[in-house]
Amino acid sequence: MKGCNTCDPSSAGMLFHEAARTRMKQVVDRRPEFDSSSRELVTLLGEVSRGDRGAFAHLYRRTSAKLYGICLRLLGSEADAQDVLQEVFVLVWQKAGRFDDGKASAITWLATLTRNRAIDRLRKRTIGSDGIEAAADVEDDSPSAFDVVGNAQDSARLANCLGELDERARTVIRAAFLDGATYPELAEREKVPLGTMKSWIRRGLQRLRGCLER
Amino acid sequence: MSDDSNLPEETGDLAAEYALGVLTGDDLQRARDLARTDARFQAEVARWSGRLAPLIDEVEAAPPPESAWQAIESRVGSAPSNVLQLRRRVGQWRAIATAMTALAACLAIFIVARPPAPAPAPIQVQRPAGAQPLLAMLGNDQRETKVVASWDPGNQRLILAVTGAMPSDPAHAHELWVIPKDGKPRSLGTMGTSKQMHMQLADALARLLQQGATIAISVEPPGGSPTGSPTGPVVASGALAKT
Repeated sequence: MKGCNTCDPSSAGMLFHEAARTRMKQVVDRRPEFDSSSRELVTLLGEVSRGDRGAFAHLYRRTSAKLYGICLRLLGSEADAQDVLQEVFVLVWQKAGRFDDGKASAITWLATLTRNRAIDRLRKRTIGSDGIEAAADVEDDSPSAFDVVGNAQDSARLANCLGELDERARTVIRAAFLDGATYPELAEREKVPLGTMKSWIRRGLQRLRGCLER
Repeated sequence: MSDDSNLPEETGDLAAEYALGVLTGDDLQRARDLARTDARFQAEVARWSGRLAPLIDEVEAAPPPESAWQAIESRVGSAPSNVLQLRRRVGQWRAIATAMTALAACLAIFIVARPPAPAPAPIQVQRPAGAQPLLAMLGNDQRETKVVASWDPGNQRLILAVTGAMPSDPAHAHELWVIPKDGKPRSLGTMGTSKQMHMQLADALARLLQQGATIAISVEPPGGSPTGSPTGPVVASGALAKT
């Protein structure tokens, strides 16, 4: 994978890893629901990127409940959730070509894009800008809105590594991710100074990364 | 390639915090700026998004109301609804559309007044910096301008102003096409009954709207052509040109 230019491909260790990886890949590929539904989404995104309206409608039917759930969870209000869902699908219609099969699964890409747009909306709401401005912002496509590397299929691994964190770090990281809570909101929720909250989360994230990269 | 060891620790933390979504104020602004300008930062944010993404699985799905799809369809100018509604975005687009109508009227007079001279119209249009809009006057066989189409490539928006009488017939729809250099028409969607409308085009279609490409309107069954190509008579057409 990475940094292996210096590895000797003929060494026994390398061969072992290679074999293990192949086995892992076969296992993953054989999981039926992963196999068919994930490939179908990749195909649909490809068709959408070529302007296929039928594929777009199909993609909506397949993914809108999941994506709307994300909007609702983060935004609370149905009106805002519907607004962001619309933004997301207009973006998908325009930018489906940016999806890179090699970087992330289709549902991970769509879910991350949705979460990022919903978080953007949350932050705008906090600043107090009006709905018109927010609606006019669909064209703003900051790179982060589209980029994700990794796979939602790694959920067991993430759960494992979150389990290695101490409980309060785990709780606040989950709350931040799933509820869209900010540093000040989390500090207030947990009744600790802002600086303390920042160091809980930073240290938690560093440990998480260490564990995930093991 | 995915090596981020030369990203300072503090910036690495910022990428993680940005992906998690906890930042506010100046820190958030700094992260947004870095995400736009610094490829390494951007890559680290993408990796963090991927690391955390499995958590999204925990969010329960919730079917959106039917109206959500209708709104999306009308915004992308989708054919099945047979409606290409003008989304009344306050201010800017109304102003541009009004300007287009005025311009169309000027050009129509110009063309009527000097029928044999196909000289380029010496008209300068004020336009927002950065965009290089193209204009097509869609006329019929009698050289009557029916619709003015203005293409804003920066925003991937096609604005249509109906300036002439268009036969209105509930048994038929007007479908809009782009015919690029390869000569193969691609549908842009069906038109509603509004005098002014705009549509947002997907990347794949947007790429076809180049100078010299023809924009045409054909008469089709309600809902648009069943074959994907024009099946009825072309009521108006014109080539995209610089304004």
